[in-house]
Amino acid sequence: MPKGIWIFVEQRDGQIRKSSFELLSEGRKLADQIGEPLVGVILGQGVETLVKAVAAQGADKVILVENEQLKNYSTGAYTSALNQVIRKGEPQAFLMGNSATGRDLAPRLAQRLGVGLASDCTGIEHDPEKFLVFKRPIYAGKAFAYTGSTARPVLATIRPNTFAIAAADESRQAEVEKETVSVDPADLRAIIKEVALATSKRPELVEADIIVSGGRGMKGPENFTILEQLADVIGAAVGASRAAVDSGWREQKFQVGQTGKTVSPTLYIACGISGAIQHLAGMGSSKFIVAINKDPEANIFNVASYGIVGDLFEVVPLLTEEFKKLVSA
Amino acid sequence: MNIVVCVKQTFDTEAKIVFDSQGRIDPNGVNLIVNPYDEFALEEGIRLKEKFGGTVTAVSMGGARAQEALRTALAMGADKALLVSDPALNDADEWVSTQALAQAISKIPHDIILAGRVAIDDGSSQVCVRLAEELHLPSVSTVLKFSVEGNKVTAVREIDGGTETLEVELPVVLTAQKGINGNEPRYPSVAGIMKAKKKELKTMTLADLGLSALEPKMKISKYDLPAPRQAGKKIPGEPAAAAQELVRLLHEEAKVL
Amino acid sequence: MDEIKNVSLEMKDYIASSGAETLSWCMQCGLCTNLCPWRLVPGEVSENFNIRKMQRLGQLGLEGFEEENILFACVTCGMCQINCPRNVEIIDNVRSMRNTTVGAGFLPAHLRPIAGSLHANGNPWSGEREKRAAWQNGLDIPAFTEDTEYLLFVCCTSCYDTRSQKIAKSIVRLLKAAGVNFGVLTAEENCCGESIRKLGDEELFQKLAQGNIDLFKRNGVKKIITTSPHCLYAFKKDYPELGGEFEVMHYSEVLAQLVKEGKLAFPEELVRKVTFHDPCYLGRHNQVFDPPRELIQAIPGVEFVELDRSRNKSLCCAGGGGRIWAEVPMGERFGELRITGAVEKQADTLVTACPYCIIMLDDACAGLEKGDVLQVMEMSELLCKALDPK
Ligand SMILES: Cc1cc2nc3c(=O)[nH]c(=O)nc-3n(C[C@H](O)[C@H](O)[C@H](O)COP(=O)(O)OP(=O)(O)OC[C@H]3O[C@@H](n4cnc5c(N)ncnc54)[C@H](O)[C@@H]3O)c2cc1C
Repeated sequence: MPKGIWIFVEQRDGQIRKSSFELLSEGRKLADQIGEPLVGVILGQGVETLVKAVAAQGADKVILVENEQLKNYSTGAYTSALNQVIRKGEPQAFLMGNSATGRDLAPRLAQRLGVGLASDCTGIEHDPEKFLVFKRPIYAGKAFAYTGSTARPVLATIRPNTFAIAAADESRQAEVEKETVSVDPADLRAIIKEVALATSKRPELVEADIIVSGGRGMKGPENFTILEQLADVIGAAVGASRAAVDSGWREQKFQVGQTGKTVSPTLYIACGISGAIQHLAGMGSSKFIVAINKDPEANIFNVASYGIVGDLFEVVPLLTEEFKKLVSA
Repeated sequence: MNIVVCVKQTFDTEAKIVFDSQGRIDPNGVNLIVNPYDEFALEEGIRLKEKFGGTVTAVSMGGARAQEALRTALAMGADKALLVSDPALNDADEWVSTQALAQAISKIPHDIILAGRVAIDDGSSQVCVRLAEELHLPSVSTVLKFSVEGNKVTAVREIDGGTETLEVELPVVLTAQKGINGNEPRYPSVAGIMKAKKKELKTMTLADLGLSALEPKMKISKYDLPAPRQAGKKIPGEPAAAAQELVRLLHEEAKVL
Repeated sequence: MDEIKNVSLEMKDYIASSGAETLSWCMQCGLCTNLCPWRLVPGEVSENFNIRKMQRLGQLGLEGFEEENILFACVTCGMCQINCPRNVEIIDNVRSMRNTTVGAGFLPAHLRPIAGSLHANGNPWSGEREKRAAWQNGLDIPAFTEDTEYLLFVCCTSCYDTRSQKIAKSIVRLLKAAGVNFGVLTAEENCCGESIRKLGDEELFQKLAQGNIDLFKRNGVKKIITTSPHCLYAFKKDYPELGGEFEVMHYSEVLAQLVKEGKLAFPEELVRKVTFHDPCYLGRHNQVFDPPRELIQAIPGVEFVELDRSRNKSLCCAGGGGRIWAEVPMGERFGELRITGAVEKQADTLVTACPYCIIMLDDACAGLEKGDVLQVMEMSELLCKALDPK
């Protein structure tokens, strides 16, 4: 009896994370390819209302585990609960988003189950012989490894935005299986005292996934607000060239470059920065670089994936508006 | 306090990835460094010792060259070092690495085990949390800040969109985010470098650990390189249209948003 | 007061074994510290870095010299060394003292990507090796063959930095205009290694240098023209230690000779008031002072003025000794003094002949917002202007 592809439906405060919908959408395709059911696993307390959305996104079955200890995420309680349902239900594969939760939970769960885990994957292929083959960026994206497991279940965490979300089908129904679990007190040794959700706080420069940077073209310290507005819409950090730092517009700790911070975000948006070699040394390995500069000859365009030749004071606010539309869509 | 810091030797961040004749990543001629995240863990380990006394043991797994990484740890201020090295570990996956390291560390007194939150080579970010599980210890991942008082550790860790404060008793495993506790990894003194040459650096094989060869759970079937970076495009048109097109490209083509 | 530290013979021996052979010659007169350009600027490095004291610490095997602000502050300008009454090889001592930590694998954080890139790409600028010669596309530069007289060796900076590429292209034009028989092996070359050696990474220097020496020998290179005074220094003074003996000249020496021989002339009048910044590695280190002056003055219309500090007394741009990769706050950059000096002389053009000096002086000129009164130019760029109408 096949046991299916299982998706960990990550919820916080009763909200399902976007990455879980991405996984359900892709999981549906995989389940069809191998002819097995797609199962969503929801952990929490008072989260039965989420079943509908999981079904609509393609799940054939939803395993619902409700318990006071699972209300909020904690490494121990979630590991304990998932270990129990996975041992019982024996899935072929158990997929999670590579969120902070996924990164923390997956390795512990894999070790408890004694199985393999492919982390931070950016692709999954079904292979008749090797079952699932996971594509993983390694060496900061300078290469890819393709990895698979012969043992079952295989665990994987998938990088957010890897898969598109399919249209939800509200008419879909899923079988609901309620599971009860007991959490081992040994798993409750790390006690969460406080959660601070700082939605407006900008990420740290060196760890940010998106960075918006300004240079001498910003003309003055007050103009950095337009970059901050842009940054806040897309959850970006704000960096600067040394020229902006020298001019006293930004603190040195925000300087990107050879003698500043080395950053490697997925997206780097350079505004009014010419692209001097010392600046490039600090951000040249960014996955995508966007340049906004009024000088079509500026060196930054030589490394930019996308460029707009224009006045940043005009372009940046328009860009902020466009991002707002996208984010709210 | 007995402090263990896990240290991995990785390729230099500037290293080029080349494949050997069998299509595997070729380490020949590549400059090797201490995984930058582990340096932050080391710094914290040494600071704990400076504050509470005790011993810092740096533990690594890898080939003979990984001794250099441990010498670095010793020069920074670790007291002892242990390298787990065995040709049978060449194809180790995270599970195998965990079994070997857990076995090694279980023999070393440990109140706190520190490591970087991720290694910049395979980027899998698994082994130290697995290690905690294997040693039946609690763990806190991606720690931004922590303090120890008596037996109690208060740690702030990074979660999506914020932070979480946890309390946990020793012994515990912590994985360090860059900039943990606002400290930079120290630059060793010449005296430290000279002393490091005389400190104990032990190497153990699987047999020494009482283990036999372990079958990995995961197998890498191939490696490849990303498609070369495409030539950039300048988006033509009026600013409003260009901004719209840029967002569309970022969303649909680059898939970054 | 400094805390009391222990004298360590072991440390002293360790420093000596890293190559600081003349360290013990120093009699602590302090002339070096007084001549040091760091005395001319305020700030943290200036307050901490005292070359006399650093050597004293080394002599006694005392800790403290290895602090980043001390050990890596020296710009290796050579001002102290040429004036030292005891002929102490101060720069060798600095590099050896750096080697005590760097040789053990410890570089300050900001220098690690530089060393990493030198290891992986053969250049310090994180440029891909395959693209080293990319700037030559469309320029029709001959490859070096056995029949070629000179190898033109182009500094990494001028291979990868778009600003600096203009220097390389200008030099190529001038050599062609003068009918020099030259060719390149750019794609296969490594960084000369001059700066990384000064930073104390002897092993990496030797790897880079050996690669170049083998390449030159394999191709039968006998004479080399360098675009940068730093490469000139490495080839002339460092490479012979590794068995690399070549006849090496800076491009200014070659061109000045050709002007004298009447093979190169500048027909175009340039009405400019020009002053010249002597690069330390061209001037003090290699004693090339006249050729650039002759060249500049061969341009009709040019009025030439000397800076207050010129020739052997030239003031460093702060780009030597690995400082080209060091952060220094505004107000503490030597380049600013040079820009101010040139503006005071009412020059409209500040010329120099080194890619590092260009980086530092360009940066200072932009930082001081003097771009509207003073143009910083590499000598080859000025000469090219005088070659061409328009
Ligand atoms: C030792 C040393 C270390 C250095 N380290 C660093 C470093 O770590 N990081 C760093 O960034 N630099 C560093 N530099 C400086 C570097 O060489 C450049 O000078 C600097 O990066 C230039 O900054 P910028 O691009 O903001 O300014 P500029 O080069 O002046 O460029 C400004 C750009 O803004 C554009 N612009 C102007 N107005 C507008 C407008 N309205 N709309 C759109 N575009 C506009 C212009 O076309 C121009 O391209 C270092 C230099 C030295 C010497």
